[in-house]
Amino acid sequence: MKPLNIVGSRVIRVDGKAKVKGEAIYPQDIYLDGMLYGKTIRSTKVHAMIEVDTKKAETVEGVVKILTYKDVTGENHHGVVFKDHEVFCSKKVRRIGDPIAFVIANSERVAKKAAEMIEIKYKELPAVFNPIDAMKEDSIKIHGDSNIIYHYKCRKGNVNEGFEKSHVIVEREYKTSMVEHAFLQPEAGVSYIDEEGKICVCASTQYPHFDQIEVAEALGLKLENVKIMNPAVGGAFGGREDITLQIHLALATMVTKKPVKVVYTREESFHAHSKRHPIIMKYKTGADKNGKLLSMEVNLIGDTGSYASWAINVMRKAGIHATGPYEIPNVKIDSYAVYTNNPFCGAMRGFGATQTPIGSEQQMDIIANELGIDPIQIRLINGFKVGSETSNGQVLSESVPLKRCIEEVKNRMFKE
Amino acid sequence: MNHISLTINKKMYSIDVEEDVRLIDLLRDQLFLTGTKEGCGEGECGACTVIMDGRVVNSCLVMAFQAEGSNITTIEGMSDKDELHPIQKAFLDKGAVQCGFCTPGMVLSAKSLLDKNENPTREEIREGISGNLCRCTGYNKIVDAIELASKEIREEKKE
Repeated sequence: MKPLNIVGSRVIRVDGKAKVKGEAIYPQDIYLDGMLYGKTIRSTKVHAMIEVDTKKAETVEGVVKILTYKDVTGENHHGVVFKDHEVFCSKKVRRIGDPIAFVIANSERVAKKAAEMIEIKYKELPAVFNPIDAMKEDSIKIHGDSNIIYHYKCRKGNVNEGFEKSHVIVEREYKTSMVEHAFLQPEAGVSYIDEEGKICVCASTQYPHFDQIEVAEALGLKLENVKIMNPAVGGAFGGREDITLQIHLALATMVTKKPVKVVYTREESFHAHSKRHPIIMKYKTGADKNGKLLSMEVNLIGDTGSYASWAINVMRKAGIHATGPYEIPNVKIDSYAVYTNNPFCGAMRGFGATQTPIGSEQQMDIIANELGIDPIQIRLINGFKVGSETSNGQVLSESVPLKRCIEEVKNRMFKE
Repeated sequence: MNHISLTINKKMYSIDVEEDVRLIDLLRDQLFLTGTKEGCGEGECGACTVIMDGRVVNSCLVMAFQAEGSNITTIEGMSDKDELHPIQKAFLDKGAVQCGFCTPGMVLSAKSLLDKNENPTREEIREGISGNLCRCTGYNKIVDAIELASKEIREEKKE
C-alpha cells in the first residue's frame, strides 16, 4: 500500500485560514445589489385554528409582498421522513413557532414593522404536552388519528426467565430533558435567480441535496431548476437537517424575481429548528450474585413534539442502544415516538443514543451498589468484547476496545 | 442621524449613522467588515467581540454613536493580507478552529488578554475568554492555542 498523504499526518483544515482571519463567508455575510429582506411571522399559540389578514401590513411603505400558504406554487409541505410540516400553516398551528407568513420588504426595518401588523385570529384548541397522555386513544390528535408515530420492538431470549434467575432486580424510571443545539451561527440565507434562470438558495445546511428536493417540490419546479449552495456552516449538531428558511427564500425570489435575504435572531432560531428528544425511560435490570447481567426490560417514550422530523430513526437508535455496551442474554425493549404540541424534536448529537446511558449506566451503578461490587468491575464483567452479541442480534466480530478503554480510564483516574 | 468619526483597524472613518444602529451593524452592514459575527444580540456569546480603546466589548451592546472618537480593532485588523498573527497561527496549529463562528471573537479576546498579560496561566486564559462561547465544545484546544501563542510572542520579543 502506498503511504497516505493525509491520514496519520497533521494537516491544517482547508477552511482554517479564512476562519481565523474572519474571511469565511457565512450566509449572513452575503450582500447582493437590490436585495430585499424577509421576516417570518410565527405562531404564538400551541394549538389553534388560524385566520390570517395581511391587508394592513401590505399598506406599509416598502413592503413588496407578503407570502402565506396561498402563494405556495407546489406542495405546501416538507419533512425529512413524513411530509408533516407545512411551508406556511394553512388552517391550523400545532406549536409555538409554526411559520404562518413571510413579509418581503426593501429593508429589514420595514419587514419587521409590517410583520407586527399582520393580524392573526387564533381559535385555540385543547393541547397535549405529556407524551404518555398523548398515547391514549382518547387524546386529542396532532396529525391524523394516532399520536404514536413509531414503535420499535426488540425481543431476545425470555426476560421473565432471566428475572426469575436473578439475585438482584433493579427497577427505576429516568427522564431526560429537551435540549437545544444553540449552534453559534443563527440560521440565515440569501436567494436569487442566476443567469440560467435557476432559483438559488445559499443557506447553512446539513442536507443540501435533500433541501433541493424539498424546495423544488414546494415551488412546483423541476429539480434541475433549483440550486442549493452551502457556504460556511456555523455549527449544526443535527439542528440543520430539517428545512427552516430555504423554501421561504426560494418562493420569495420566485415571486419577486429579486434577491432576498433573511437572518434569524437567536430567539427565532430557537423557534425554527428541532430539539433533542426528551425520553421517559423505564428500566428493569436483573443480575446474578456475581454481577453478571441476566435480563433487561426497557420502555422508552420519546416526545417528538409537533412534527416527526427524524423521530423514527432517533427512537430506533435509542431502542437499539438501550442496553448500553453490555452483554445481556434476555432483552425486551419497546421504544415509541409520540406527537405532542411541544417544540418538534429530531437529530441532535447522538441521535437517540445519547439519552439512554442516563438510564442504563445508573442501573449498572445501582446493581453494583446492591451487590457490593465495584462499579468499574461490574462494567468489565459485562462489557462487549469481540464475539459479543448485541440486543438486536449483531455479533461484534472486530474492534471492540471497550475493556481497554475502561482500564485506561481507571488507571488514569486512580493513579496515586 | 448622527455624524461620527472613529478609527477602525488604523483607518480613519467619518460616517453618518442612524440613532438605532449598533456598532456591529455599522461594522457589518455599512462597512462590510463581516468578520465580526452576531450570535445572540444580547452580549451573551461574544461572537461580536471587538477591541475598543484597548478593552474588549460586545459590539452588539454598543451603539454606533457611542463609538465616536474611539479606536477599534476588528478581526480584519489582526493581520495583513496573507499574514497571520501568532494567535491566528496558533489557533490553526492546535486545531482550535471548528465551525469558526466564535473564532474572530476568541482571537480578539486572546489578543486583549496577551496585550495585558504576556504569560497567563491556563486559569487566566479561561478567564480571558469567559465572555466567548464555543458550541463545538473546543475550549481545551482554544486554551492550548492561546498558551502556544503566548509562548511564541514572548520568544519573538526575545529575539
